[in-house]
Amino acid sequence: MEVEDKGKAEFEASEIEYVSYGGEHHLPLIMKLVDQELSEPYSIFTYRYFVYLWPHLSFLAFHKGKCVGTVVCKMGDHRHTFRGYIAMLVVLNPYRGRGIATELVSRSIKVMMESGCEEVTLEAEVTNKGALALYGRLGFIRAKRLFRYYLNGVDAFRLKLLFPRPEPNYSGSRGHESQGLDDGKYSELT
Amino acid sequence: MADKSEAERGEDPKVAISPSIPSGNDTVWADVSPLLRLACNDLRSDELISGENFNLFAAMSALEIMDPKMDSGIVSTYYSVDEAIDSGAAPIPLNFDRTVDIQRIIDIMDHLLACEATWHKGGSLAQTVFSCIYLLRPERTSSHALLHSFCRVIRTTCSAVVSVVSDARTNEEEDLFTMAYGLPLKADGDDKCLSMLHAVEETISRQLKACKAPLSKRKVLEDVEPLQTNLDLEEGFCKAVLCRLRFRKHFYHVLTCMRRPQGKGLELAKKHIISCLSELDSMLKSAEFLRQHCACGTLEDGAEDKTTASGCQPIGFDSTLNSRSAAPTPPRSIKLLSWTKAVHYFQKLLHDLDTICSYSLDPVFEGALRFVVDFQKFQPDLVARAYIQLLLVQEGKLYGREPMFAVICRAALLPEGAKNHDVQKNETVGQLGQLLISLLRVLCTNTAWQRRKLGKILQDWRIIYVQLELAFRKEFGDITSTSTDQDLCLKICKHILIWVEEQTYWIALRFLVLGFELELYSTSEYCMVYWYIYVILIKLAEKTHLKMMLSNDSSRRKSKKKRDSVKDVGKDYQIPPAVLLLQCYIYVAEGLMMMLASLRNENKIFLCLGPFNSEQERFIQHFELLQKACLPDHASYFLFRETTAHARFSTLPEYNCFKDAQRIAKELRGNFANDPDRMAELRRIEQVAEHNCIALNLLCRLGTLEPSLKISFEFIHHPHFAVAAVKRS
Repeated sequence: MEVEDKGKAEFEASEIEYVSYGGEHHLPLIMKLVDQELSEPYSIFTYRYFVYLWPHLSFLAFHKGKCVGTVVCKMGDHRHTFRGYIAMLVVLNPYRGRGIATELVSRSIKVMMESGCEEVTLEAEVTNKGALALYGRLGFIRAKRLFRYYLNGVDAFRLKLLFPRPEPNYSGSRGHESQGLDDGKYSELT
Repeated sequence: MADKSEAERGEDPKVAISPSIPSGNDTVWADVSPLLRLACNDLRSDELISGENFNLFAAMSALEIMDPKMDSGIVSTYYSVDEAIDSGAAPIPLNFDRTVDIQRIIDIMDHLLACEATWHKGGSLAQTVFSCIYLLRPERTSSHALLHSFCRVIRTTCSAVVSVVSDARTNEEEDLFTMAYGLPLKADGDDKCLSMLHAVEETISRQLKACKAPLSKRKVLEDVEPLQTNLDLEEGFCKAVLCRLRFRKHFYHVLTCMRRPQGKGLELAKKHIISCLSELDSMLKSAEFLRQHCACGTLEDGAEDKTTASGCQPIGFDSTLNSRSAAPTPPRSIKLLSWTKAVHYFQKLLHDLDTICSYSLDPVFEGALRFVVDFQKFQPDLVARAYIQLLLVQEGKLYGREPMFAVICRAALLPEGAKNHDVQKNETVGQLGQLLISLLRVLCTNTAWQRRKLGKILQDWRIIYVQLELAFRKEFGDITSTSTDQDLCLKICKHILIWVEEQTYWIALRFLVLGFELELYSTSEYCMVYWYIYVILIKLAEKTHLKMMLSNDSSRRKSKKKRDSVKDVGKDYQIPPAVLLLQCYIYVAEGLMMMLASLRNENKIFLCLGPFNSEQERFIQHFELLQKACLPDHASYFLFRETTAHARFSTLPEYNCFKDAQRIAKELRGNFANDPDRMAELRRIEQVAEHNCIALNLLCRLGTLEPSLKISFEFIHHPHFAVAAVKRS
């Protein structure tokens, strides 16, 4: 999510239309975007795993009929914690820096929160300053650094967003371990 | 797959295929393509197969056959090593023209160096070093002495490195490193590699001598056959080969000397390190000659990416060959380091190893801790970290010679006699020794993994404290012997308990400061992090001081008895330098915390705001493990808020922490005069304090008046203590 780029698209924020995943016809759009922009290659099964099981957590951004951004997520139990996970977030380069990614990911996080998630996690390359700033603004902390997480040898940060608990907080009472199952393994995700 | 027409004809699916795994009694190989094709026809777009054992998650790990990104069994060039050899991919000799032969061998040597460095940096052995076909068939090279001896020393070196890393087990996250199933890591006769290498080296040095000798003397040396046929290039090639062989020899010696027990080979290893570095220099120097006379004709641009000094593509390598063998290889190809980068990697590795070899094996535990922490600042790679760990912990003893109980007694400032006390037989005391060993091990791992492990072992240290308390009470109750023994036992218990607490806070501090090195904190979180560091430091200083007072107390009492002195001990009491240094850190942490708090309160910057949660959630997440272990008791988000909520620039100057820090740092110089590392640390702290003092004064004068001021925090003087930079935007 780098800041400025020569080939910036000109558009009004109001021209961007956000839609929830609507079916198989959206799949090629998502795949094309992700394949184009992210380093890790995914098979069609990976996409289907996410969008079929959690269609309400995936969103697409359109500008005049063209898909310019997408977010793909999941949620589920993880060591006694109900946790959301952001698997992929992509905005086409000319459309970056205008809040589209923030809007996409915020929509997913909102659904996760309403669905009873206690926290949201994801991994991001340590070199991806744009993404780190974006998630930082949303309240994510860098919980841990994962040594050479990606196959290209780059470290990752595990980012985490903890939702406020409805009952009053008493610290030191969390009974679970907050480590990912996929810790230290080369993940296919993000 | 069977071809289409055959399938359509619906013939017997048991087609003649020659599988590498034979059919068994109850199993038979069958071609399922026709069945799959029929099933496909039944599926419409948008439909998925799901079954009890095949859900969407399982589908994700499905391989797409014939997709080069996923199908590691896909044949890229050759089916097998034998096929590659039959196709002439690794000829012996490499060329019948002996000059070309030598050039190609040098390319192989260089490419292997690039492979080896890439392996050390996280690549798999199968895809790097063992992509060399010559290495994979040890017996094939025997007719070629130079190639044969080189292959042997490479295999032996890899095997030595694998054993160091697997013995050290510092590679939790780098487990790909030691995987070598199916690779001929140890071939018959490889143990004699040094004598073979030596013989070849002798021959080539004679060849070098012969070609350099003046014409008159040549007659005597006539029986020396030159290395290759072009006599003008003889000297250059001899030198290029020699430095490469000698590097291998000395490097192997370094690896083996460093493995001698109790650090007994470190002196010798240092000498070999010097030789290694000098041979690496010669290798770099040989690059120009090799580029000028390369065998592959015209060179493309971008020599800096090349894996050989000459810039030529080496022959005899295929990184995809092993993907079909047992050794695990991710299907994706990896990018090898260039030859130049590989040389630089080895230079760095050797410098790191040299640091280890120069260590004095300080019997004081605190010294060992400081050594490993300082060593980590050089960001050593896996191999160097494995060596430092093996040096520190051998056979459950520090450096293989100091039993852990003796180490603990010394660390707890107990008198020499304590280390023989029976209390060491207590099970919990034994467990404490184990905790100490695992702490040392953890400190040798990469810092990312280390921090996570440290966070977890904090809990263990809290628990052992409670267990020790119970155990000591029981032990103490059992003692029925003489009162002097009772005295010593009580003393040991008291000292060890305080030391355990001190050590626990030390781990907590390391956990917190590593967060800076790993860039885990954002500027808006610095305030709470420095608050936490501040409260941990206070406890650490308290425990350290208590430990020292306790030991002074008893030694004083002893001397008092001896000399029957009536001198008042309270009057000449001075705070020990170690505690003062901690006090200095406390001031810096407090200063930063209050400066950040004032900026938040008055300038409304560096606040933790977000649409989904509050600062409290960030606090809980960052310090969860400390809170769980009650480190320290009562530390909470509310206490943090209470401490920082009222900080204002108007009140800060009255109590300027940075000035106090500067003062103490200056005073301490005399105490650490003969410890250059500590002196450097004092200087860094002084710089941080001084700069922040100036920044604070500036902020106090202009702070809220000038909203155009840009304030940032940078780690220019110290890795953990930031310096405020104030700029007008």
